[in-house]
Amino acid sequence: MSSIRDEASLTVTRSLPAAAGSGAEPPAAAPHGAAPHRPGRAPGPASPASAELAVTSLRARSVFAPIEGGRAETVARRLIQAIQLGLLLDGERLPAESQLAAQFGVSPVTLREALAVLRSMGLVQTRRGRGGGSFIRAAAEPQRAHLERLLRLMPPHELRDIADHRAAVAGMAARLAAERALGPDMAALREHVARLREAPATISGRRRADARIHIEIAAAAQSPRLTRHEMDLWSEIGDLVWLPVAEPDVAGIVAEHAALADAIEAQQPERARLLAEQHVAAETERLLSWRLGLLAAGA
Amino acid sequence: MAEAVAAGADLSQPGATLLTAVSDHIGRVLIAVDRIGQATAAAAAAARTAGRPLHRPDLAAVRTLAADLLHHHADLAAGAGVVLAPGALADVPRCIEWWWADEGSGPEQLQVDLDPESAEFYDYTMTEWYREPQRTGRPSVAGPYVDYICTHQYTFTLSAPVCCAGEFIGVAGCDILAGQIERLVEPGLSELRRAGRAAVLVSGSGRVIASNLPGVLPGTAVSRQPACPGLVPVAGQGSPAGTGSSILAWTLLSDPA
Repeated sequence: MSSIRDEASLTVTRSLPAAAGSGAEPPAAAPHGAAPHRPGRAPGPASPASAELAVTSLRARSVFAPIEGGRAETVARRLIQAIQLGLLLDGERLPAESQLAAQFGVSPVTLREALAVLRSMGLVQTRRGRGGGSFIRAAAEPQRAHLERLLRLMPPHELRDIADHRAAVAGMAARLAAERALGPDMAALREHVARLREAPATISGRRRADARIHIEIAAAAQSPRLTRHEMDLWSEIGDLVWLPVAEPDVAGIVAEHAALADAIEAQQPERARLLAEQHVAAETERLLSWRLGLLAAGA
Repeated sequence: MAEAVAAGADLSQPGATLLTAVSDHIGRVLIAVDRIGQATAAAAAAARTAGRPLHRPDLAAVRTLAADLLHHHADLAAGAGVVLAPGALADVPRCIEWWWADEGSGPEQLQVDLDPESAEFYDYTMTEWYREPQRTGRPSVAGPYVDYICTHQYTFTLSAPVCCAGEFIGVAGCDILAGQIERLVEPGLSELRRAGRAAVLVSGSGRVIASNLPGVLPGTAVSRQPACPGLVPVAGQGSPAGTGSSILAWTLLSDPA
């Protein structure tokens, strides 16, 4: 029983990103449409049945973890990310400003600046008086403008760091999958590559199919830990991956996944690892290039 | 079932009881899994007798039985329930009634996306634990595999077919964490190691479940193990020798005698 208990406590740290698997459609997807990689075991977002939900302490630990350096932009970014990922649900009430500022480890002034950013994006609505407070307003499909805002708020070194982490996880998962995948693993992987090819032409539709491929590869590697890392990373960067993709480039990206599946099936561990790393590098370059474009355009 | 496996094993060999220990345990859990299957079949039969189609609310008994299973087999079972074949229910096209063990608050129901149009569609009919009982009409133990749907761990799934009027209508089952299986076989593997013998336990699909060789890692494909070609199946282990009823399609490999 002990391992189950350990697992349950791990859930605390992983429930956040994993619950975000349903990411792009926070309120709508929460009740029934749980992502396959949303943990059945982990407490998901609070029930959206109630319009004014208190943020649970569980999620507060991660979403509202103290900010180093204490800057309004970082606070804003974390909140936007949490909303886009569905960690904070439509209609949910944020803790009182003083409490929230204390949790983030920033001054009330900084927090108010951050909330102003969200308010200007229409992601937070503040109501005064009895039963008032700051409430989350989330759209079903992530809006490009919001994702672009989020991307602008992410420092390049952090995008690079996330890419390094992803390359380590995806590269190793691909290598081990090439060594360990058996027939049924390959069938599942092929199935999900096909699903990406046919995915709805939306950021969230493609991102989910894409994430699923990488999660299947990590599962084929027989590694629950790499699988969890993939899930966490995908919920962290989520929809950003497909933000800078132009329609004519979609086929090429699907082909990258197909080539990766080929290398895994051909039991070529080094080639699989290399392809996975190159795949992540290409995505990162697209993101950085898009971000530079946004800055140049003064968006 | 457990007795049958024991009878088939060659008790003169060191470590011969290795798989018997697992079979004993799994056999006991299978009784509880069968109860879930029987309740589902009974609900289907009752609806049939009443001349009406089966609906999801008819499966209310599954919840209690799954909770009982998780409670009484807490050492092995991490999740339990039943899934229905597409079209078996009149009110929903697909159905998964599955609970997982949550400390303190009792079993939690598993929520997954069963809409085939969704990118997150969980197609349980593609899983080994669904397909094997469907194909053979007999219980099976699938895995090990990374279960990122329910347990989030390296997992086996014990499953048994559910039939009504001779027709396959679904699968009842129970998730078992790989760590629990490893614990069960560890004494036997150690015993063989003390006797100076290699031992590699291999799943039906050719994956290493456990071994007493440091270079032969769990989860690797036995066919790609440089250390394994010299090993041969141990008589009476893992095969349904003489009984034809073992639910474990596992093989224990060891040095040739």
